Amino acid sequence: MNILIVEDESRIAKRIERMTRDILGDALQSIKHMNTLYEAIRYIENHSLDLVLLDLNLNGNSGFDLLTTAVSESFHTIIISAYNDQAITAFEYGVLDFVSKPFNRERLQQALHRAISNEKGITNPIKFLAVKKRHKVQLLPVKDLLYIKGAGTYTELFLVDGRKELHDKSLEKLEQLLAPSFERIHKSYVVKMSEIKEIIVESGSKYMVELKNGEHIPIGRTKYKDIKAKWF
Amino acid sequence: MKLRTLLYFLCICFTLLTVSCSQKPSFYNKYTSVFKIGDQQEWATKEFNDQNWKPILRYVPDGQVFWSRTKIDIFEDSDSLRPYGIYLHVYGEYEVFWDGVLIGKNGNPGQEATLGKVGKMWTTHSIPIDLTKKGTHVLAIRTSLYYFPDHLRISGLKIDTYDDLLADRLIETSYMHLFAGAFLIASIYFFFLFLSNKKEYATLIFSICCFLFFALIFAEFIKAYMAIHYSMHLVRLQIINVLMVCISFLIPFYFSTQFPFPKRKLLLIIYAGLLLYIFLSRHIIELTSNNMALSMLVFSFVIVGYGVYKKRKGALLVLFTLLLSVLIGAVTPFNKSIFSGFTFILLGMFYLLSLRIKEQRLAYENSLVQSTRLRLELLKKNIQPHFLMNTLTSLIDWIEEAPKKGVLFIEALAKEFDLFNQIENKTLIPITQEIALCRTHLEIMEYRKEINYSWEEEGINYEEKIPPGILHTLLENGITHNLPLEDNSITFKLTFESNNDYKCYTFLTFAAPINHETTKKEGTGLKYIKARLTESYNKQWDLTSEPMNNGWKNTIKIYC
Repeated sequence: MNILIVEDESRIAKRIERMTRDILGDALQSIKHMNTLYEAIRYIENHSLDLVLLDLNLNGNSGFDLLTTAVSESFHTIIISAYNDQAITAFEYGVLDFVSKPFNRERLQQALHRAISNEKGITNPIKFLAVKKRHKVQLLPVKDLLYIKGAGTYTELFLVDGRKELHDKSLEKLEQLLAPSFERIHKSYVVKMSEIKEIIVESGSKYMVELKNGEHIPIGRTKYKDIKAKWF
Repeated sequence: MKLRTLLYFLCICFTLLTVSCSQKPSFYNKYTSVFKIGDQQEWATKEFNDQNWKPILRYVPDGQVFWSRTKIDIFEDSDSLRPYGIYLHVYGEYEVFWDGVLIGKNGNPGQEATLGKVGKMWTTHSIPIDLTKKGTHVLAIRTSLYYFPDHLRISGLKIDTYDDLLADRLIETSYMHLFAGAFLIASIYFFFLFLSNKKEYATLIFSICCFLFFALIFAEFIKAYMAIHYSMHLVRLQIINVLMVCISFLIPFYFSTQFPFPKRKLLLIIYAGLLLYIFLSRHIIELTSNNMALSMLVFSFVIVGYGVYKKRKGALLVLFTLLLSVLIGAVTPFNKSIFSGFTFILLGMFYLLSLRIKEQRLAYENSLVQSTRLRLELLKKNIQPHFLMNTLTSLIDWIEEAPKKGVLFIEALAKEFDLFNQIENKTLIPITQEIALCRTHLEIMEYRKEINYSWEEEGINYEEKIPPGILHTLLENGITHNLPLEDNSITFKLTFESNNDYKCYTFLTFAAPINHETTKKEGTGLKYIKARLTESYNKQWDLTSEPMNNGWKNTIKIYC
């Protein structure tokens, strides 16, 4: 795993680094510490990362600027901050976890575990998906999202109004953030369950869902039973 | 709503006043008086033929005796129990004859030089009932004018029942004195208000206006109960005129302080010159007062009109009171309108003053709120999450990794909390305390950031006082917005200079700036410093904050 710590308090950064090394052991490939927003953004642009541990208040600047950039990237973001009141907003933006200061090893471990294990079911619902556009990041309301199709390391977001957007996060990571109102029904599809009209069984035991707008999306053979049991 | 009530009140006052000033129908008619120098007893008689007498005599030298005769028609017989009387306002010492009968004596006509000043300007005499039957009668007055040989005239003559003549004057006078008393009390009250706050010149001016108005009423109505010899009359009129000049100047002056306009001083000087010119020229005394009142009104109108144009608070209502006093002036005789008019104008001024007092009260309440807010802000410095939670996180780490250092950290923290407790409710604290606060804060930050912070000071006068937390805030800003130099150090330096004009603190931060810093708007820290400086030094301070070669420079200048 490649991890970046963005934190302007040197003692705390060292603590995070030490604990992370300890928790992840051999799974950790590299860990880097950045002091300022500007350095962090530059680093993110030029390096491939799996996880960013981000402080929300850096040198008197709000980390939300960095946060929108970070959540639009392929990696997960975990906030470590003193401002508990910003936790809800952070979750809405699509962070994986929010660790409030002061924290201990157990809490950090829990957060890191979530990043490693693809554990689903974040209690605070996400409201936006940050999508990278030319020179800027756009926040896309999750309520406008119909389903997501995996396309290699990227994903395609299909929206209510028929538009299609690209996202840098993998289908697995988005599934993790969007659960439980979204469900992985196929190895390449995550669908908003409330948009499903019915399940159609086609010849040759092919299963499809019909969405309210008439679109058909395949259901994975292995997923069918689970979904049928859970939702219908 | 309040304004409307006041308007209604003024309207009602106005109506009452005009009603009370209207004249009742007269039951007598007075013909033109005729005069002749000389002294013959038969000139008093009703039948005497005065055809060759002159309606005007310009000059009677050496206190010679002269006579005046005035024909008067009476349309109604007097009530048998309520005889008629005659009220006279005549210059000189005189004897009064009615149809040849002596009905009153005021001084010693013809013998003034030898017998001295006797008598008064205003007299009331009763007329025997049998002489006031319906028909024509003759009033003859035997007068001498030793002191003012050129003041031959009957300035006032009024016939009514004798009781009413006496009572009416007393009633009028008592009302006016009530009035005067109210203004005297207002004057004293506002004078005390001024004494308690000597910066409020508007209160002083208003107090003086009230006092002058009190004196004016007094000077005007004192004649009802004090015997004023005609030789002293001019003195009284001069006093009235001086009072008028002062009031006529002060009222527009007051308005000019409330509704400032360009070139105020110059215009006021010109106006004062105009008033003085009117005062000194005084061809006819009554006219002088008239002119002064008129110029006062015109000037006030212009000023208040400008205030209305500029949408100043209260200007509209004052304009209304001015209009009312003009209306009153138009419908009532001058000696009545002058008092009612002034009263309205003074009410207008009073209203303005009450507006200002309200503004001041609000400002005071605001300042209280502001002080509380600043106090809370100071307290918040230590419990705001960014400081507290980061400190605690670092502290936990130190305790886990190096317990002994952790204890030192806790001690530093305890010291900072203690210092904050000592200063939290003060508006000024010794500079030594503020410096101690900064040093402890650096100690804490060193544990947190692991940067070598150092503190230097130069030329500090340790007797000086300073608002709490302002250097601390600069220090916090310096820590937050800068990166350490290459040797992992940040140095802060406080220098102090003072001279006769100002004291100046310079706070230098030697550090590397954070590149691409995006904060352009003023942070809460600087706002706090500015609010604290304003709280203690009003506007007598300057704060600059600018980058320098190897860091940042803040200067706080406090003017003496």
